[in-house]
Amino acid sequence: MSLLAVVFIVTGLFFFTGGTIGILRFPDFYSRLHPAGKLDTMGVLMSMTGMALYTVQDFSLAALFTSLKILLIVVFVFITSPTATHAILDAGVRAGLSPWAAPEKGNTK
Amino acid sequence: MKRLGLIAIMVFGGLLFSISFELPDLGDARSPASTHVSPYYIEQAIHDTSVPNVVTAILADYRGYDTLFETAVIFSAGLACFFLLRITDRKAPKARFYRHLATGLTLRVEKGGRLPEDTKEFERIDSAWVPSDVIINMTCRLVVPFIQLFALYVIAHGHHSPGGGFQGGVIFGAAIILYAISNNLRRTLRRTSERTSALLGSGGVIIYLGTGLLCILLGAGFLNYSSLSLVPGLDPVSARSYGILIVEIGVGIAVTAVMVWIYYNLASAGKLDEGL
Repeated sequence: MSLLAVVFIVTGLFFFTGGTIGILRFPDFYSRLHPAGKLDTMGVLMSMTGMALYTVQDFSLAALFTSLKILLIVVFVFITSPTATHAILDAGVRAGLSPWAAPEKGNTK
Repeated sequence: MKRLGLIAIMVFGGLLFSISFELPDLGDARSPASTHVSPYYIEQAIHDTSVPNVVTAILADYRGYDTLFETAVIFSAGLACFFLLRITDRKAPKARFYRHLATGLTLRVEKGGRLPEDTKEFERIDSAWVPSDVIINMTCRLVVPFIQLFALYVIAHGHHSPGGGFQGGVIFGAAIILYAISNNLRRTLRRTSERTSALLGSGGVIIYLGTGLLCILLGAGFLNYSSLSLVPGLDPVSARSYGILIVEIGVGIAVTAVMVWIYYNLASAGKLDEGL
């Protein structure tokens, strides 16, 4: 059980790392939102599931309730985080921000 | 006048600064606060008030005056926003635009014309109108009840875990603000009008103040909840616990209403008509 929890948390951390690198490296607003929304959701999902498993390993009613609460956090993040990304992106489109395009050949600065 | 203010600030600031050298060091184990004040609260709070969370007991009972005036400060922040931002003598716009939801046609109603009745078929459009988004709408509809439930839990569970009136009130206010963002301000104002939020804001402070005055009427000091034990079936200790709960509910109502009230004024730049 403990090993499974560690695997989950490490996978979550991997997604968090990827998301962070993506936010730093991508060229514009829209493409940065992609790692920010997607990998954060996945990272929270994975690491929180791992924590829920870790809590429940010495089984008792209190531990079960705690891990259920953690799973509730996962559910709410899973619903709200993509919606927030969608809303931010929508606001960007409505404010008239045009997406980044690759520079044409021979026109490199 | 300005120079006078500057001099007063310099004098009092200097006084505060010079006095601050006399204060005990941070974390000094021999300071009066550490030798007998804190240990008393930590050891006796559970016997005095039957509240396991010492922070709540200190905040709402031992230091009741402090929290009362904090609530008053929050309420006056709402009042200040209202007086600074609210524009009451607004001019009616020249023409209003309404969108027929089923067909997407837009109607222009000149000033003095008959406005469509408040049905679900028409939607008012103004300069800051945003088309409603199905995804955001549905998610907020799904999430808002849970946020409100959690806010009530935080208020009611302040006796046992971190939480209380201020935190729960802010969460509840955030739920209403989320509704206003996901739908629009006008629909929110129909449910929680400005008058309601102002009345609730002052009502919360009055609940707190009224509890304190009730304690005087029942023959003890201001905000000394143990006098509430005159109510049958209450001993002084649990009376203090219930007194804290009543006060926290008052704080929660006041904070919720003031949050919403400030949002209304800020989001619509005081017009409460246009905007969002």
